[in-house]
Amino acid sequence: MRSELASPVRTLAFLAAVWPTVWAGAAQAQPAEALAWLRKIHDATLTLSYTGTFVYQQGNRNESSRIARFVEAGGDIERLEVLDGVPREIVRTRDVVRCYLPDSRVVKVERRATDRSFPALLPEKIGALARHYDIALGETRRIAGFDCRAVVLMPKDNLRYGYRLYADIKTGMLLKAVTVDAASERVEQFTFTQLSIGNVTREMVRPRHAAGKWRIEDSEASPAILAGWGLSAELPGFHKIIELKRRMGDAKPVGQVVYSDGLAAVSVFIEPLEARREPVNPVIASMGALHVFTREVANHMVTVVGEAPAASVQRIANAVEYRRPQ
Amino acid sequence: MKTKISALMDGELDERSAREAIATAAREREAAEAWSTYHLIGDAMRGTRQLSDDFGARLAERLEAEPTVLAPRRIERQPSPRTWFAMSAAASVAAVAMVGWVAIAPQREPAPELASVAVVPVSAPMPVAANDYLLAHQAFSPRVSLQGMAPYVRTVANEK
Repeated sequence: MRSELASPVRTLAFLAAVWPTVWAGAAQAQPAEALAWLRKIHDATLTLSYTGTFVYQQGNRNESSRIARFVEAGGDIERLEVLDGVPREIVRTRDVVRCYLPDSRVVKVERRATDRSFPALLPEKIGALARHYDIALGETRRIAGFDCRAVVLMPKDNLRYGYRLYADIKTGMLLKAVTVDAASERVEQFTFTQLSIGNVTREMVRPRHAAGKWRIEDSEASPAILAGWGLSAELPGFHKIIELKRRMGDAKPVGQVVYSDGLAAVSVFIEPLEARREPVNPVIASMGALHVFTREVANHMVTVVGEAPAASVQRIANAVEYRRPQ
Repeated sequence: MKTKISALMDGELDERSAREAIATAAREREAAEAWSTYHLIGDAMRGTRQLSDDFGARLAERLEAEPTVLAPRRIERQPSPRTWFAMSAAASVAAVAMVGWVAIAPQREPAPELASVAVVPVSAPMPVAANDYLLAHQAFSPRVSLQGMAPYVRTVANEK
């Protein structure tokens, strides 16, 4: 009787155990094709002009945004406007990202110090993703009027999330991106509800706000070496991709080190505790696939922000250390 | 709950349990205190926490002189057991101070109707102060290469 009761559970456990193997098999069966799809999605973000509306879902939050991208020979401009909640507008030109916050009349400016694609997922690096993810093609599905193909990235360990990406079969445009955890539960999701490819004018990506008299908070980010700071142990697969000094709001310089496995990224922010005019609120929080942990190390406030499972972000946070440079 | 927080610190919780623990820590003062205290204890044990009475003042002075300094001033470490005890005592005092700070820090309360329909997985609300970090992080996420600007919507939405 007891074993009969247990058997469905065992069956489930068995299925759970073999599932990754099934995925791995699928990935091996068609890795080249799946990787080619990732490249296609990547290329679409560089070459397509489009306008559309998408919904970001996470926990109880459902938020619509309008997005437009205008491509011309001299580069491209992308404009994003959040339609629900606090108004936010983000406009990216070739090497500058400006975030307009009309309520507080602030423009946050993030310059890309290095070339525009850094630290982007470069086409030649897409193949390297297969080290940490089993990549396979999934089903076809119709989304917002587009016939889409699913590309599934399942992590090979529990240090990262999995992704289901749905791209337009014709153009490679990404219409839906779902982040899933180890239990295959949805962590967050982006879905286009309306999309129109082409017919974008420069006028459509112009910022809505003149912002002439708004306060400008320029991050002034520039590559730097944060002497003495590092991790006592790296998280497997996550490597340092950039180290820089920047400003945060109107505070004094903050160090930022970014670690990535090629797709997921974790930032470590290091700021002297006394450099802030007001105390920083310690933060322990989650939002969708993003987790934030704060701790104090050697009289510095260390804030770790990552789009990886909480345990991974936590491990990086715990590993942050300061060693006096020799 | 303290066991959960301890397990969270050690990275021993699975995704769901970790989320629950984080949600609790953001909600309950005791859990948040445990979080701070355990870290301070850990730092003291590892000897990575370097404290002296006027450290803050001196660091502030030096920062005035050298605005880009990110490295702390070295405090000579004395390895005798007594000093270690003194250090951990200092850490405990600091723990109390930081706990007070955590408690005083204005945590944004989630809207009541949201709190009551909390379904799994629960996310502890991000305080508005996290916005700058979220924005700064997105700029360097390789995801932008597959998804364009869309991930930038992940900022705190309830600013008011």
